[in-house]
Amino acid sequence: MQTGKRLRLKRIFGEDGRSVVVAADHGLMLGPIRGVVNLRETLTRVIQGGPDAILLTPGQASSLVDLFHGRDAPALLVRADWTNAFRDKTYTLPARVIRDVGTVKVDDALALGASGIVVYLFIGLGDEDEEAKNIKTISMFSRECEKRGMPLIVEPLPMGERVTKANYVDLVNLSVKMAAELGADALKVPYTGDPYTFERTVKAAGGIPVLALGGYSGVTIRDSLEVVEEVMQAGGAGIVYGRNIVQAQDPGEMVRLVRSIVHEGRSVLEVVGAAKKGRISLRVEPAACVGCNLCTAVCSLYHYGKIDIGRARLRVVQEWPSGAKPVVCVQCGKCITVCPTGALKKGSKGNVELVEELCTSCMACVESCPQKVILFNEEANRPLLCDLCGGVPQCAEWCGTAAIRVVEEDV
Amino acid sequence: MFEMKGGYTGRVLCFDLSLKKARVDSLSEKEAFLMLGGKGLGALCLYRSLRGKEDPLSPENPLIVSTGPLTGTIAPTGTKFSIVTKSPQTGVFLDSNCGGMFGVQLKRAGYDMLIIKGSAEAPSVLVVDENGAELRPSKLWGRTTFETIVELRKEFPVHSFLIVGPAGERLAPISGLMTDDMRSAGRGGSGAVMGSKRLKAIVVGGKRPIEVYDPDGLKRAAWVVRRMLRLHEVTARSLPRHGTVNIIEAVNEMGALPTRNFQKGRFEGASELSGEKWRSGLWRADKGCYGCTIRCGKIAVLNDKWVDGPDYETIWAFGPNCGIKNAKTIAMANYLCDAYGLDTISTGVTISFLMELYEKGFIRELDGLRPAWGDDEVFIRLVEKACKGEDCGRMVEQGVARLSRKFPGSESFAMHVKGLEIPAYEPRAAKGMGLGYATSDRGACHLRGYTAGQELLGYGGGVDPYTIEGKARLVIDRQDEKAVIDSSGLCFFAFYAITLKELHRMVVACTGQPYKDWYDFMRIGERVYNLTRLFNVREGLTRKDDSLPRRFLNEPMTEGPGKGQVVELEPMLSEYYRLRGWDEKGEPKMETLDRLGLKELLGSNG
Repeated sequence: MQTGKRLRLKRIFGEDGRSVVVAADHGLMLGPIRGVVNLRETLTRVIQGGPDAILLTPGQASSLVDLFHGRDAPALLVRADWTNAFRDKTYTLPARVIRDVGTVKVDDALALGASGIVVYLFIGLGDEDEEAKNIKTISMFSRECEKRGMPLIVEPLPMGERVTKANYVDLVNLSVKMAAELGADALKVPYTGDPYTFERTVKAAGGIPVLALGGYSGVTIRDSLEVVEEVMQAGGAGIVYGRNIVQAQDPGEMVRLVRSIVHEGRSVLEVVGAAKKGRISLRVEPAACVGCNLCTAVCSLYHYGKIDIGRARLRVVQEWPSGAKPVVCVQCGKCITVCPTGALKKGSKGNVELVEELCTSCMACVESCPQKVILFNEEANRPLLCDLCGGVPQCAEWCGTAAIRVVEEDV
Repeated sequence: MFEMKGGYTGRVLCFDLSLKKARVDSLSEKEAFLMLGGKGLGALCLYRSLRGKEDPLSPENPLIVSTGPLTGTIAPTGTKFSIVTKSPQTGVFLDSNCGGMFGVQLKRAGYDMLIIKGSAEAPSVLVVDENGAELRPSKLWGRTTFETIVELRKEFPVHSFLIVGPAGERLAPISGLMTDDMRSAGRGGSGAVMGSKRLKAIVVGGKRPIEVYDPDGLKRAAWVVRRMLRLHEVTARSLPRHGTVNIIEAVNEMGALPTRNFQKGRFEGASELSGEKWRSGLWRADKGCYGCTIRCGKIAVLNDKWVDGPDYETIWAFGPNCGIKNAKTIAMANYLCDAYGLDTISTGVTISFLMELYEKGFIRELDGLRPAWGDDEVFIRLVEKACKGEDCGRMVEQGVARLSRKFPGSESFAMHVKGLEIPAYEPRAAKGMGLGYATSDRGACHLRGYTAGQELLGYGGGVDPYTIEGKARLVIDRQDEKAVIDSSGLCFFAFYAITLKELHRMVVACTGQPYKDWYDFMRIGERVYNLTRLFNVREGLTRKDDSLPRRFLNEPMTEGPGKGQVVELEPMLSEYYRLRGWDEKGEPKMETLDRLGLKELLGSNG
């Protein structure tokens, strides 16, 4: 590999060969979406988090060049093509047929001071001529990049009418391999959704670094960070996040969180502070509950290995005509005080524990529970108590609307 | 009874209303493997129960309630069940996919499927639980769905109900079924089938656990799905915030929002009916089904009434399609149809047909009413009469196909396929939808072959809506995907974010069935589509029934982006048959049935 390519790739990937890239080239494809309207302001905050590289369109790259000044500044990546493929009805004017064209030459990117260029590779288009044209464009970029010492990052995307709900992963892998054969130096690939299949995608790249891309932003930070963690588990070289970062409440902080997973190998639970150390307790927000019952389903699956929502250690009260409220054990301790034999005590996590040998099956706890969430296991002749799932209550984990959440108790 | 490893209960409850007898059959593991559940297993059961050409309202036509292996589990959106029967509206195969707790409760009662045959002597309620089924006489005949829910709730505080409204009781061909949580199996006349059995309601509940083959595997797979739903714009934001009507402005923009009985593709009042307008207007709450946090359901408040919805199709059928701009009128019509158990799409399209009959001078008035486009007052009176079956309402409840026979010359604008009214996408401005309507197994349906997402909304990079090239393949892929989704117990909407890969992982973890990969699931969809085709062929359907109203074939669109377009159906249809492995008449070839294992499965019946 030429010196130019090698030096520039090192700017992107650094010593550990991993990279956190922030994509901010959306304006060209999607228009003034949230987060990229005032790009200078957003990127100023992004840079505080220390991304390895930032992807911009050529026009923005020239006007924001001062953001890349300095020894520790992020590397600049330049988007070298345009497409309408992402313009669905969420944006103005849905695309009718996918089109993709090169917008700048490699020389232009060199002049901009870019450390790499990024181009799309479409697979699955109904019009195969269009697919062929796309390949031709990439080949030309590839040859020019080779001459100029400019890293080529290819972004393979299964899109178009020949993509089905079955062939998606195979199309990702096909296009990844094609990109590698066309001379890509790194890849920006859609996450296939789970680490098992993504591992195969990484293998298909044959050693070329694979960065996963994000797409729409998650409901919570954790949704986005889980993807980062799995990509790294699957052998990915890092992540290219756009909306997940530029639309975050604190883009700089989001970059820091992503960095800590990519470069420091920390886990999501550590990073978002979901793993509580001391005593915990459950709280409910009834207005947020939609009555989906995922909490009761997962509670029963966790405790019994089967779905039995009627035997969950919490319940969901449905309300007419819509809405519901979860009723959970709030660790109030009433059962402990009424137990005549002292068979119930506070556990290390703040849960109520049963001392089997002291229990006389008197039902006092079941009857006294203000929440009516203590059930009785007829077979074992013992009460069924919320055990806070050993510190990570599954009901709160699975609740999609934070109607059930975990709070740390002040000791 | 064989040992089901998980997901399925392995039991099928058959109840004969005439004999008042219940029987529990075991589910065949092989059939479950091949047809998955829901629509697929229901279709197999229906195919075997009938021989062809029976009257859909006769006692021998079974009413089948069929769940999927993921119904009632922790698979996100695992709420769905299918009603499968022969449709009194079309005379052919009908499956109607429905959410809510009913399917979950059926599984908890210990059954994958409920098959109801025969006919009760007097109006009755069927109560199903772990111990079997019991038929009880009912005094609720004649009551609205809302009243029935209130009455049944007194006796059954935790059960779920499937209810027929007064429209179904009097065998109105466009009547559907409602659940206690106001989800509806609206299309194709399942209400009339239940009405013909003199069954007012099915009450179901139980406490049986649903076994899971690999609990940790299912949890991991379901967690991935949960996250994917939260990472996709449509499932994380559009549907939760704006419900299914989130697309109305985009469809209108594309000139594909059928207006005034499909005369035009753009409605001047569309922006007044947008998701944002409903949200700041009549909607008061979001509503979701079991296992789902998307909450596409909305609750509107109208004076002192709670209205479930309205959703996109309903808003369109009563709104643009009838020239109505007033949200309150639409919500009121929605309320009435729910209360009396009429399908909102069919009701709206039949009324728009009457309005065009009036416009064109076929009729001068209806019981003193002049059904002009956009006349709110007359419109609501017509809906009311249709719901109650009064006077000219008797015409409406018949649906478009039957009605048009009384008006020679009206066929070209009688908007139905195989007798089922056409829903809310203009096929001249989205030709895949045209082929989808023509070839859908239950008659015109937007969801069986939903190409609109690509043709009109730009999803997945978009597809040229006006070309016919490649549309046969596109429609087949969408139909097969939908057929397997409807057999799984999951909701179609989850698949904006996930693929069959996620379905594969969840089904394998849940059931332990040895599916090789996700392509197996595409084949299940294909198998289901071929089986329903066999059913329809046996009923006498031929190529000429895979057609569209002449309006789409011969009348070019007069304005909008699709100006000048018609649906060039025949070439698409020929290609469709060829790719499906069907002959020129549209009958599946023996080698196709053999390849899909249907020849073996159906044996001598085939």
